[in-house]
Amino acid sequence: MATAETSRLESLRNRSAALGAGSTPIVMLLLVAVAVALLVGSLRSATFAQLTVQGLAVGSVYGSLALALVLVYRATHVVNFAQGELAMATTYIAYQLIQWGLSYWEAFFATLAIAFLLGTVLEVTLIRPVLHRSVIAAVIVTVGLFVLIDGVVDWIWGGDFKFMPSPFGTRIYHVGSVSIARLYIGMFVVVIISVLLVWALFRFTKLGLGMRAAALRPAEAAFVGVRVEWMLALGWGLAALLGAVAGLMAEPSQFTLEPTLMQPILVYAFAAAVLGGLDSPAGAVVGGLLIGVALNLMVQYVPAITSELQAPTAFAVILAVLLIKPSGLFGHREVRRV
Amino acid sequence: MRSRILVLFSLAVVAAVLCLLPFILSDYNVSLVAQVGIFFMAVLGLDILTGYSGQISIGHGAFMCIGGYTTAVLSRDHNTNLFVTMLIAFAICFVVGLLVGLPALRLSGAYLALVTFALAVSVPQLPLKWSSFLGGRDGVQTSEAAQQTATNLWVYGVAWAASAILFVLAWLILRGRVGRAFRAVRDSEIAAVASGVELPVYKTLAFGISAAFAGVAGSLFVLANNGFAAPDEFGIFLSLQILIGAAVAGLGSLWGVLVGAAFVGLLPSVSSSVPVIGSAHGQDVVFGAAVILVMLVLPEGFAGLVARLRKLAGA
Amino acid sequence: MPVNRKKLGAILVALLATAAVAGTAAASHPGTPGVTKKQIVIGGTFPFTGPAALYKTIPVAEQAYYAYVNAHGGVFHRKIKDITLDDQYDPGQTPGLTKKLVEQDHVFAVVGSLGTAPILSTWNYLNKRKIPQVLVATGDAYWGQCVHKALKVCGGKAKPWTMGWQPDYPGEARVYARYILKNKPGAKIGVLYQNDAYGANYLAGLKAGLGSSKNQIVDAESYNVTDSAQVIATHLVKMRTKGADTLVIFATPQPTIYALIDRTAIGWSPLTLVNNVSANRLFLLSAGQNGASLNGVVSSTYTPSPTVQANLKGVKFGKSIIAKYAPSLNQSWAEGDGNLVYGLGVAWTFVDALKHAGKNPTRASLMHALRHLNESGHNKNPFVYPGMNVKTSNSRTFPMEQLKLIKWSGGAGGDWHSFGKLYTGIH
Repeated sequence: MATAETSRLESLRNRSAALGAGSTPIVMLLLVAVAVALLVGSLRSATFAQLTVQGLAVGSVYGSLALALVLVYRATHVVNFAQGELAMATTYIAYQLIQWGLSYWEAFFATLAIAFLLGTVLEVTLIRPVLHRSVIAAVIVTVGLFVLIDGVVDWIWGGDFKFMPSPFGTRIYHVGSVSIARLYIGMFVVVIISVLLVWALFRFTKLGLGMRAAALRPAEAAFVGVRVEWMLALGWGLAALLGAVAGLMAEPSQFTLEPTLMQPILVYAFAAAVLGGLDSPAGAVVGGLLIGVALNLMVQYVPAITSELQAPTAFAVILAVLLIKPSGLFGHREVRRV
Repeated sequence: MRSRILVLFSLAVVAAVLCLLPFILSDYNVSLVAQVGIFFMAVLGLDILTGYSGQISIGHGAFMCIGGYTTAVLSRDHNTNLFVTMLIAFAICFVVGLLVGLPALRLSGAYLALVTFALAVSVPQLPLKWSSFLGGRDGVQTSEAAQQTATNLWVYGVAWAASAILFVLAWLILRGRVGRAFRAVRDSEIAAVASGVELPVYKTLAFGISAAFAGVAGSLFVLANNGFAAPDEFGIFLSLQILIGAAVAGLGSLWGVLVGAAFVGLLPSVSSSVPVIGSAHGQDVVFGAAVILVMLVLPEGFAGLVARLRKLAGA
Repeated sequence: MPVNRKKLGAILVALLATAAVAGTAAASHPGTPGVTKKQIVIGGTFPFTGPAALYKTIPVAEQAYYAYVNAHGGVFHRKIKDITLDDQYDPGQTPGLTKKLVEQDHVFAVVGSLGTAPILSTWNYLNKRKIPQVLVATGDAYWGQCVHKALKVCGGKAKPWTMGWQPDYPGEARVYARYILKNKPGAKIGVLYQNDAYGANYLAGLKAGLGSSKNQIVDAESYNVTDSAQVIATHLVKMRTKGADTLVIFATPQPTIYALIDRTAIGWSPLTLVNNVSANRLFLLSAGQNGASLNGVVSSTYTPSPTVQANLKGVKFGKSIIAKYAPSLNQSWAEGDGNLVYGLGVAWTFVDALKHAGKNPTRASLMHALRHLNESGHNKNPFVYPGMNVKTSNSRTFPMEQLKLIKWSGGAGGDWHSFGKLYTGIH
């Protein structure tokens, strides 16, 4: 019985993988070209290297939040506008745990667990009832959540700055004339590890397989015995967990904690998710890194684009991708409707 | 026949109340009711877009921003008559709305929400970029004469008069061919195309009209704020407020718009006296909770409530 | 008969409406708004939350001083009530809140409101209604320049009802220019300034102070108040690329903290000058905690330090007021929060002026008292730096015109120490 179930799931997986094969080689080639360009640029100019390193660190935060958005979208086809605020709220929970005496890393992992629970609860109580009606209704609920979470955090902790201990200390490494703060390395590593763990979950575990099946082919998955509704809830939980990682890594880069922590980041995470493909987890992370580095370099080397135009640039990216290639770099679902 | 008399009578009552209120309320409270009038126009605009033509927008604050800055800059630089600036704001936002509506044709549901969200975040950044013309963070102040004219009472009167005019305009549009086309598009795009509705035209038109309404609301929003336009006034929360107002109103109902606008316009001032939550962000908790409850329990908003009550009374 | 009843009803409604109008007219306040036999009501807008929230202790200190005065009989037996509202340093929110203070709370005067842009967004409204907008917590030169003259920067109209307190920003920047020219003559200067009237004021002053040497400014980078630490870092990288070896920061506290941390994080150690409104010891301590190298950073002051000058009479007095009327700020005081001394100083000046405004103060008499301050000699303001005075007259529209330079030493847990002479007549 078990073998039959697994093999049907396997065939589902094979079929879905086959869908995206076409565009991938070109995209991979492009990415390799970009990587080479960045390397060359960094070797030639210390400033370029500095900005690239910072861009990768910040980009990893965008990528983590983008990944959360993608997981939610894949599971329930909802764009969760409250993902950033949820990430911010879980960061405040970590802050509170530290205030109550836990060490940073104890609070970190406790927060991830709490975030996971919070995400599943939200999906079950607030999203599932509305999902049956329409996607727009669910989107409006996430908008309400955005505002509600912001208000609740403000109410409980107040709107002024809070300080959290820095998880990576303040050491700075010097590579030639480039200064790499340990913070940047830490942000990047933590996010990459989280992403790899999620990837491993999806790739190697039965649970992960079930989640992917529930997202891609719910009817068939249900037929095969996957508890689709639970998989969707778990998807939200995992997303909330990744959001918490994003928030916890964003905070030290800002040196202070305040309710607006994730608001500027949200639009870049959206851009990253769209660029990578709203249903591609790998794409979200790559998209995040690309956007992080690109924005930094653009502000430095393109005189017309000053820091005020960063958000409008993200808007332009979103619009351009959705109009030209709606499935993004790595996505492979048919996204357009009549 | 009877229901039409009822409708006209209730409209007359609303008009009468609005005319009397300035005599009863203090000057400060008059400015609060003026805010309701301003949100009425913006929520009405969004209602036409989402409720009648089925396209979602989380970016109407951007159109209010454009309209508001139009009035402020024209007044500052040329001391243009304020009514003229509002007409120009209407026109400019109509065009911008059409421009946004064009790419929106190829996007649907969540994607359109995403794009309009990014729009709402980006547009208020533009005055920071072109700060010499658009004032940057220091904002744009209307002319002395304009500030003299735009008293609380003036803003109140003009906001509600404009609301009435736009309400009638909306009613005329929606009862005609255009309105039927909008509803067809909302209910089923495929069926609408099959029955000959020219999809692109009507969908784009809906965006233009919707944006124009928000533009006029933006003009008055600035005038109500002592004639001062600044980027932070038009941040993402404004767009969220308008969406929440439309959701509470009940997508697709003109009467609900009044309730939705009142909810969004009055809550900030009322919530500061709410005992437990109290602070400036108490309103956010109420807004957020309200719209979630509405979506869960009363998805057709106030309009749905009225419909249900009518059913109970009638049946 | 139904028709008559309808007519009767309409007449009743009309009568009620007229009564309501008459009632509201009669209920309008006779005499001076905000002043009763027992109370004076004032109000102001402050950033309790938002990007400038590090200033939120200022109004709390001001209220502590008013509480002290009220506990000692008030001013002519009137207690001072201070209504503070949060505008989040957002000039878009300030007009609405100021309207509330004036039209709903009927304040006597708007006192101590914080922020250049917020004041600029409300000064038309208040000056038109002849409401004092005084002792504003910002050092822009406009508050002194626009008192009598209708300059273009004043919006074409004089603003006699608006008044500052602290030494003005351009004057401060001129002092920094003199310091650089004297101590590092060939300096290549990079300036980080806020992209609004606040930042522009400082930059203009620096250029004026450098005079013919103003092309020593190799790069002037503007940033926006809500920019993240990353964006600030990119500005600093740009400056370094252009060869700057001196960094002047004209920013509000949070971006200043970012700049101090970022410049160390990118491995840059220029001579650094920081404007005094962002030189609160607490701000530098938090920069130090995050790895900023602080020794040698230069700024200025016009109030005594609660830590380094703890034995001054005025400082002890201040400490006792905070301990009694705002004990939640004790910790802050102990760590050297300059905001508290500033707040006490402003409140002291307000009470001083109120005392000179007569037994039955009016807005005009308050304004007159504020334009003829003489806080020196026996009437010294205990909360300003020893040797400094607070004075105004028909010709002197800037209450404070003196500064002392300070330099940081002691590393991440160190403090500011004053050095050099007292700069006077800083215009």
